[in-house]
Amino acid sequence: MTRLQEIRHWFGGSTFRKKILPWLLILPILLIHLLVVIGPSLGAFYYSLTDWSGIGAADFIGLDNFRTLFGDVNFRKAFSNNLVWSAFFLTVPFVLALLVASLLAGVQRGAMFYRATIFLPYVLPSVITASIWSNLLNPRLGIGAQLAKLGIPFLNHAFLGNPDTVLLSVAFIDNWHFWGFLMVLFLAAMQNIPPDLYDSAKIDGANRFHEFWHVTLPGIRPTLLFMFMMIAIWSFLVFDYVWLLTQGGPAGASEVLGTFLFREAFNRFEAGYASAIGLTMSFFAALIIGLFGFLRRRGWEI
Amino acid sequence: MNRVRLLWALSIVTILAMVLVGCGPAATEAPAVEEPAAEEPAAEVAEEKATVTLWTDPPGGGEAATCLATTVVEPFNEQSDTIVVEVVYQPEAWDAIRTALAGGAGPDIVDTPGPSFVYELVQADQLMALDEFADEFGWGELFVPWALSLGDVDGELYSIADELETLILYYNTAVFEEHGWEPPTTLAELDVLCEEIEAAGVIPFSHGNGDWRPANEWFVGEYLNHVAGPDKVYQALTGEIPWTDPDFVRAIELLNEHQQKGWYMGGLEFYYTTGWDDYIIALASGEAAMKIEGTWVAGALIEQIDTGEYGDNDWDWVPVPSMGGEGIFDLGMGHTWSVNKKAANPRAAAEFLTYFFSPEVQARRFRECDLVPGPVRLEADMLEGVDSRMAEMIVALAEASDAGNYGYTTWTFWPPKSDVYIYEEIERVWAGEIGAREYLEGLREIFDQEFAAGEMPPIPTR
Repeated sequence: MTRLQEIRHWFGGSTFRKKILPWLLILPILLIHLLVVIGPSLGAFYYSLTDWSGIGAADFIGLDNFRTLFGDVNFRKAFSNNLVWSAFFLTVPFVLALLVASLLAGVQRGAMFYRATIFLPYVLPSVITASIWSNLLNPRLGIGAQLAKLGIPFLNHAFLGNPDTVLLSVAFIDNWHFWGFLMVLFLAAMQNIPPDLYDSAKIDGANRFHEFWHVTLPGIRPTLLFMFMMIAIWSFLVFDYVWLLTQGGPAGASEVLGTFLFREAFNRFEAGYASAIGLTMSFFAALIIGLFGFLRRRGWEI
Repeated sequence: MNRVRLLWALSIVTILAMVLVGCGPAATEAPAVEEPAAEEPAAEVAEEKATVTLWTDPPGGGEAATCLATTVVEPFNEQSDTIVVEVVYQPEAWDAIRTALAGGAGPDIVDTPGPSFVYELVQADQLMALDEFADEFGWGELFVPWALSLGDVDGELYSIADELETLILYYNTAVFEEHGWEPPTTLAELDVLCEEIEAAGVIPFSHGNGDWRPANEWFVGEYLNHVAGPDKVYQALTGEIPWTDPDFVRAIELLNEHQQKGWYMGGLEFYYTTGWDDYIIALASGEAAMKIEGTWVAGALIEQIDTGEYGDNDWDWVPVPSMGGEGIFDLGMGHTWSVNKKAANPRAAAEFLTYFFSPEVQARRFRECDLVPGPVRLEADMLEGVDSRMAEMIVALAEASDAGNYGYTTWTFWPPKSDVYIYEEIERVWAGEIGAREYLEGLREIFDQEFAAGEMPPIPTR
């Protein structure tokens, strides 16, 4: 066999096709991932151990940033706000999405219209959604103020200007944008449940609630648990709606870890400290992933 | 061609395509979002002329939005035989500039939000010292006495401040006339007046931080300067007295008292949710009687009143009241101009800056763009065509600064971390979480660290 024939034989062989070719195909995106994700992530590890301002040289200071972080009252406040945010998003959108998805599952006529209408807020850019709702909730000119003029005062409240209501108000706005996406996912999962399970349940005397509890929920459990995990992680990464609507105010009442990190990095020139915050956020996300990995090994369908 | 060969060919092509994309323009050379119309003729002679680049935020729309290009850059390019200036519009220009500088690139002329940012860039060795150009082009004669000193870092000139600003008390003349009120000169008069205004069902001060949370610092700075006095503020900024001085505590307590009374926009919850458009309209329409804000508001008020929607409502201004009634103007700068250490033609950049800050060009910008001029010496006849109230502001500010009747705005004269502390933590005072003394103790701690590290912007001597 000539040299050229040997080369051709090797490239046509199973070793190349099964072991080398897949890596070649993913190499471009892997290089981008290394450059844009892995590189900066490793950089964050390094800078979290320095007093880097974001400009110029970085001096090594060991674990000082982490010591400061765990004594920082603003960090504790932001973290507790993230826990509240998580509690909100692990309940409200789930209940809404499951309820509406189960109702829509049986609808044939106009199904696409309902799905598209409910999903529409999800495709709006966050800047647009925030602008719409900050105007709707304007205490002088918004819905509450206009209804108050008609003798309906119960919504006449500065939701985004009051420290007691601001965090949940921002969560409400983000939920308005998000729950349609969850509903569509659950609806798609429900479509995969064999119809004869519902027939069997009816024969056994199950009502709508029993069908939902004993057939629908178990049938979509993998999707449900996966989204539970993702929302738990995303709740620690929240940034855009908080920053667009309140920038963490008033008085830090809506501050979350994402806005706290941004402010430390770009307003206070504490990029090293901000890196420590970012690593802490990643740690919590890793804890959640680890928990779900543990549950999967125990046989949970995730 | 069999499947294996096809896959092999595809993978090679993909890798080659990625390599070619990667060999394109460097990441730090951000692509231009929009080039000015003068770009084509300028490009044709670019080989003969030295090119100077300048990045700025894109125009928001309307004729005034392109003022930098039409009133400064295009006339400069037409009259210069040796230099062509290219304006590159970048969204979030400051973020783009500092990222590019960090990567060793960026525009020749560097626009920063203020002296504290210049300090950081100088520490990173990203800006060029301008002393030789200041001597060559006679900047000492061009600018008012204290202005160039604002651009000093460690004894060398690195930036020139632009858009001289101060805060004044705007008031609705129709509302005042209707109720027989007089603009206040002392804080005691202001207190009495605000009680009367509130009793008349009018909001005393139109303002909110809904669009710009750092707006909180305007009021902290005003109360510190006008209650404790600019001499005391100077002493604190130069490290002679601490920020916990009783006069400063009194100033913050007074600001908190006025906020708790709801004098700002009718209450804190409205203050936090009111933005620029709403509070301009509130003053223009007479819903609010007064407003403490910078000279930058005047153009917007004129525009709003000129719509004719508000009947006889009009506005005028007085200095912000002080303890003794003297007119104090707290000095501020909108932003600064510097030269990139890596600029290919630094002398050309300095020549353009000299043109930019010439009295004729600054007066033209003021007339045609409603942009407050930089700290240069303007003659009264140069302000013909400018709204008389705005012209009076500039003249009064220049006279006050010459006479030493000036105070210090926080965004210009405080070091960066202290400045951020001022506008963020004051909300905790307003929320009742901490008191005025505790707030100032926190400021003292951060300020002392920055002062000891030499991170202070230059403070003009009194």
